[in-house]
Amino acid sequence: MTPKTEERGSLSRRAFISAAGLALAAATSGRADPGGPRLAAIDWAMLETAVAIGHMPVAACELIRFRAESPTPAIPADVVDLGLRGAPNFELLQLVRPDLILISPYYTRYESRLSRLAPVLNLPFYIPGEPPLPKALSALGDLATAVDDTSSAIKAHTRAKAELDAIADELSGFADRPLCLINIGDARHLRAFGFDSLFGSVISRLGLTNAWEGRTRFSFLAPVPIEQLATMPEARVVIVGEVPAHAQRSLARAKLWKALPPVSDGRLYQLPEVNAFGGLPSALRFARVLRDALIRQQTVQL
Amino acid sequence: MSLEQIILAYGMIPRGVIALVAGAALGLSGAILQTVLRNPIADPTTLGISSGAQLSLVLTTILAPDLLMAGRWPIAMSGAVLAAALVMTAGARRAFAPVTMVVVGMLVALTASAIATAVTLAQGEYLLSLVIWNGGSLVQQDWSGVQALTLVLSLGGAAAALLARPLRVLSLGIEGASGLGLNVAAVRLAGIAVAVALAGAVSAELGLIGFVGLAGPALARSLGARSIPERLVLSTILGALILSVCDGLVLIVAGTSGEMFPTGALTGLIGGPLMIWLLPRLRGSTPPGTEAAEGPAPRRDRPMPLLLTLLAMLLAAAMLLVGIGRVPGGWAILDAQSFADFLPMRLPRLIAAASAGAALATAGAILQRLTGNPLASPEVLGVSGGASLGFAIVVYAFAAPSGAMLYAGTMTGGVIALAVVGAYVFRRDMPTERILLAGIAVSSLASAVLSAMMASGDAKSWTVLAWLSGSSATVLMPGALGLLSVASAIWIAAVAGRRWLAILPLGHGVSAGLSLPLRGARLSLILLAGIATGAATVLVGPLSFVGLMAPHLARRFGLALPGLHVTGAALIGALLMTLADFGARMAGFPYELPLGLFASLIGAPWLFWLIMRGQR
Repeated sequence: MTPKTEERGSLSRRAFISAAGLALAAATSGRADPGGPRLAAIDWAMLETAVAIGHMPVAACELIRFRAESPTPAIPADVVDLGLRGAPNFELLQLVRPDLILISPYYTRYESRLSRLAPVLNLPFYIPGEPPLPKALSALGDLATAVDDTSSAIKAHTRAKAELDAIADELSGFADRPLCLINIGDARHLRAFGFDSLFGSVISRLGLTNAWEGRTRFSFLAPVPIEQLATMPEARVVIVGEVPAHAQRSLARAKLWKALPPVSDGRLYQLPEVNAFGGLPSALRFARVLRDALIRQQTVQL
Repeated sequence: MSLEQIILAYGMIPRGVIALVAGAALGLSGAILQTVLRNPIADPTTLGISSGAQLSLVLTTILAPDLLMAGRWPIAMSGAVLAAALVMTAGARRAFAPVTMVVVGMLVALTASAIATAVTLAQGEYLLSLVIWNGGSLVQQDWSGVQALTLVLSLGGAAAALLARPLRVLSLGIEGASGLGLNVAAVRLAGIAVAVALAGAVSAELGLIGFVGLAGPALARSLGARSIPERLVLSTILGALILSVCDGLVLIVAGTSGEMFPTGALTGLIGGPLMIWLLPRLRGSTPPGTEAAEGPAPRRDRPMPLLLTLLAMLLAAAMLLVGIGRVPGGWAILDAQSFADFLPMRLPRLIAAASAGAALATAGAILQRLTGNPLASPEVLGVSGGASLGFAIVVYAFAAPSGAMLYAGTMTGGVIALAVVGAYVFRRDMPTERILLAGIAVSSLASAVLSAMMASGDAKSWTVLAWLSGSSATVLMPGALGLLSVASAIWIAAVAGRRWLAILPLGHGVSAGLSLPLRGARLSLILLAGIATGAATVLVGPLSFVGLMAPHLARRFGLALPGLHVTGAALIGALLMTLADFGARMAGFPYELPLGLFASLIGAPWLFWLIMRGQR
């Protein structure tokens, strides 16, 4: 259960920590952008934002899980893993000698502690009631200003805009029905992605309607009973991520689930796992996998 | 059928029915447990049975999800049976003394949910299915759950009918019952097996639904159910009604405000107040002498060398552990430069961990001496529960709370919980051990509110979950020194109160004879323990078991006199927590494990050894 990152090293009296620190600094400095500042990302959305403007951080948190959940953006093997986001390893962070530490308001309680090591950039992405995609886009500019490379943000922004416009064009035929984006918890509960989730924010940018629009006050993590889907018979239902094995088994024989119009009429789609609390790269990846699933008519049967 | 009809037929009606069936099963389970154990506060929640089921489900979901393909029943059932076996074994060694049973049960429950939290956290993932399950939701989408639970309930009802007569004989007392030719052990085992099966089935199907098994029989008794068959039947019916009413309330709230929260969280809310209400009624139900303290401890003639050795070990460990560390690729000893760089980070942490350990150990020593219960630990005092609740409220109420706000919230919560328990101590003149139950009641109320927050929650639940297992990484020098001074003050106060600590456990008569202000003395000692726990909780999180282990170790080392006991416990607690802090930083490098969690993993085996050892 404990993540193992390195093979066990031997206790070597010669392996002085400062030497190791210098080695860390050397190993991670020759890459990405030699001139730019050394970034350390505590928050995943910030990590993605840094990657989007081409400034790969030298260190970031919970990389094991990040790599497992998001095949893109790829994080090079020499980026130092700083441990849990909820409890970053401050000593390792100091060894990495960052020039700028990237966090979001979820980590505000660490801000004073972190600011002793390096300047901290704290940008909001997820605020109840506010769509995150515009915030992810403006974060590009804020971060680029902080690393003194404003052109990178403009480039990333233009590319993202072009890609989203293209996908919106391709998906224009799907505006006839609202989309209902969900994540299956167990056979009786799901959570729905409202307009203030990353995915909800992306589909409204793509010109599609969210079947959950305006339904709940804050609409991502709260589990809702599955029968709520009955109130949107006309929707296309898109499952983001895996369906737990035991839920799959009981959904397959559940009367109510099978009677739901989107399920019985074959309007059920499934996407791979996408980081629901990511930055622009996750938003774009979601848009791509959604386009693929809708256009190739990859409906699923549960 | 139209969709509306299907929703009615396969969603709403089964939900209404399952509320009745599950409530009945829990009411029956609680009534059987209370009769078998002659314990009016026994129920699947207070005896740890539901939490055992929870832990096994969490472990399976994360470590071996394929096992769940066969459904949750076998997994939840085996967890429930294991927890029940543990608590019952402990009970058997202590003549099934009601309060001790519940203290053991709640400790097992606390440990199980701490480990479940730990595993969830280490996985670094917010598991929706676990959150739903922990909340105990009654949402249905077919009749399979109703069918399964009805089958279990009818079997359980039949078994209860068969057991009613032997149980009545058992109620005459063990001697009388065996004199009439009753196989006491067999009847007890059968009764408990039926109760565990009923509770485990509800856990497997719906999740954690607490305290219905406590409320049903309590209500039945106050409605005047005297005979055992009457009580079993009435508890079953009342259990069904209670859960239905709770679910109705949940549906009304969902209908009017759109807020969905699980029914189990609501029944959890009634648990705390109900236990407080039931406590005075416990009087006289305990056979005298069954809640006695441990036997006389060994006494060391010259304790000073031991205390000095402990102090030397503490200092040596601190010096050593501050100087070594892990880097990617191996271990290393700091050179002068890195030492200077790291000291500002490591020193506060080290001081804070040692102080927290000492404070918890002092609190534990006070509580164990005061109650004469070897299982009394700061964890069951309710202060940690209140503190967690304060923390959670601040996290939810403010968009981006600062460290100071969180600290203030945590302290306020702890103080309020302490005031509740203190008021209880002051108002009612009851055996000290019952005070632990008041603390447990506060804890269970806090954890019910927490699970409701989590279940309705957002990403903030993650922060709360992380804090619950303790984090010492963020402590700065002023905070560490503050904790150190609190710990020292508490140690001094406890040593100064050593006369009280020696006399109070001897009972009413002796204390009164020596003209000791009984209430005042008890209240001040409890307050002292509460402050110590609250201060440490901020750093370590609500669970660590250091406050349980250290006083025991001190006793075993022969530190019998109160002043020496407290001092030795404080030193051992500091040492244990220092080691735990090192372990938490190094075990999963660079992933730092929460301090309280790591300490619990050391403490839990100790707890189980203690429980299984029984009384000397």
